[in-house]
Amino acid sequence: MTATVGATASGPPLQKFRLRWPKFALAIPSFIWYVFLFVVPVVLVLVNSFGTKVTGTPGKVDLSSPTLERYREVVDGSFRTVLKQTMETSILGTVLCLVISLPVAYFLAFKVGPKAKVVVLALLMVPFFTNYLLRTLAWKIVLQPKGFVSNLLQDSHWFTLGQTLRDGPIQILDSRSAVQLAIVYNYLPLMIFPLWVALDRVELHLREASKDLGAGRIRTFLQVTMPLAMPGIVAGLVLVFVPLSGDYVTAKLLGGVKGNMIGAAVAEQYFNAQNAASGSAIAVSLIISILLVLAVVAGVAWFAKRLLAANRKVTVPER
Amino acid sequence: MTTTTEMPSRPSRFRTFRAKFAGLLLPGWSALVILFLFTPIFFLIAMSFNDFKTIFVWTKFSTHWWGDMWDNTTMIDALVTSIEVAVISTVIALILGTLAGLALARQPGRWTAGFVALVLLILVTPEIVDGAGQLSWFVKLDGPFRDGLTPIVLVHTVFSSAVVTLIVRARVAGLDDRLEEAAADLFATPMKGFFQITLPLVMPAVLSGGMLAFTLSLDNVVATSFVSPAGTTTFPNYVFGLSGGVIRPEVAAMSTVFIVGTLVAIVAVAIVLRRGGQSGTEIATTFTGN
Repeated sequence: MTATVGATASGPPLQKFRLRWPKFALAIPSFIWYVFLFVVPVVLVLVNSFGTKVTGTPGKVDLSSPTLERYREVVDGSFRTVLKQTMETSILGTVLCLVISLPVAYFLAFKVGPKAKVVVLALLMVPFFTNYLLRTLAWKIVLQPKGFVSNLLQDSHWFTLGQTLRDGPIQILDSRSAVQLAIVYNYLPLMIFPLWVALDRVELHLREASKDLGAGRIRTFLQVTMPLAMPGIVAGLVLVFVPLSGDYVTAKLLGGVKGNMIGAAVAEQYFNAQNAASGSAIAVSLIISILLVLAVVAGVAWFAKRLLAANRKVTVPER
Repeated sequence: MTTTTEMPSRPSRFRTFRAKFAGLLLPGWSALVILFLFTPIFFLIAMSFNDFKTIFVWTKFSTHWWGDMWDNTTMIDALVTSIEVAVISTVIALILGTLAGLALARQPGRWTAGFVALVLLILVTPEIVDGAGQLSWFVKLDGPFRDGLTPIVLVHTVFSSAVVTLIVRARVAGLDDRLEEAAADLFATPMKGFFQITLPLVMPAVLSGGMLAFTLSLDNVVATSFVSPAGTTTFPNYVFGLSGGVIRPEVAAMSTVFIVGTLVAIVAVAIVLRRGGQSGTEIATTFTGN
């Protein structure tokens, strides 16, 4: 190990050390680690999805006669509905996260002085680093039928939307709305920070130039700031959408039967039904759905970009 | 939140009433979002002072659960497991991630793109997928992979070392490699060069990476729930296991300890980095994995 370390730490004078090691020598331990603990398991999921459960065993899969039967079960059965629901929840959740986060990120990037910025960032980091499961559990307290939100809706006179709302305790838990709310909540910090970083990297003089050339605030935002921040925005969207789609903790804690998500179905197959084959097929279907959604969005975005570019008079230098 | 009322907007030549009103929209919205983010956490902490036997129904103020929680040995064991797993997996992630990050930044070649792709793939794969695969794999391997802390630690090291790799790479890429060359020219052995020049320069990245690895491990539920062997569980997974039934306020009290403990660790690292000359904004950027 020492020689390898030395080779990296030193420059040309120690060329002789380098000759003995390939360039990626220092990454070899990581590479082996990832193959053993990530690549093999993921391939195993893929392989198992073509198998059949060996009845009476804890999760054994028979692979002697590969079959697409598990996928047929996903497409035909109730899993398809859950998968569709999951995608709806995820897409809506990601869009809501973006819409809620964008003004906050914009505020942080352009409208706050350096000292205040650190304070706001620190405030945002507290929920970011608060345990994810505990935050979700906390929603269960807030959304109890006799809990805070329910009481607020009943006691306050802001809501005169019919007596039904104010009659009995309000059932928010165990529904898709509860899952949607908590999911937006859980992934919000994950969206705010990448957006802020993306906007923060937009150079001020480009925005000023845009204003000097007569563009208003909104036009500057849409035609200068947004295009420049786009790579970061895309990264934020993907980093929220993908894990959100696979979420099962939120659904299990707050969703009940109605708010089920596909991640919970995977876990259910592994833990209760002891059916790794079926669980794998659902997991692979989830990945395929995620990739499909991303592909469609990418296609639409590409088209929109072409359309925008055709109507734009000034182009912003790409970096 | 004090910041929002008197936000220093950039000087504008035509400051009208409308502009002033519009200027309040952004800070107002941001304040609401921050309030929203804090609300459930506040309720969880408040419920640890509930007298009743569940966190879901408030009766009256009491601190007795803060004493009672120490008698719940299952919960204490889970907390200890969480900390042990976090410490061990952080050390492993730091070794793997620092080496890989150095290699990526200093020895780029055709392998770089493939390796970075693998790292990014690890970071975006839904945990439910790799957790499920890791369970099947560990069941096949059996032995130590189905016993004690090992499977949990292994699973945590995968994503945390990926995060450390990216942070270290970013830091090293921003360093002047002539410093290392100078050390070699001045007859520093490769070992000396590494420990006296490279490592101190990379230290801020190692520290923030370690902090992230530690909190990612403490935060993990999904992968852990798949691979946890019988009889071993982490604190979040212990709470997850309770979630179907009654949850006593002692869980809220321990959660408060857990949350505050995590924040103290983060603040400590932030202070060290600050002393090392990083700005608050830089620290926030690395801490959030950007």
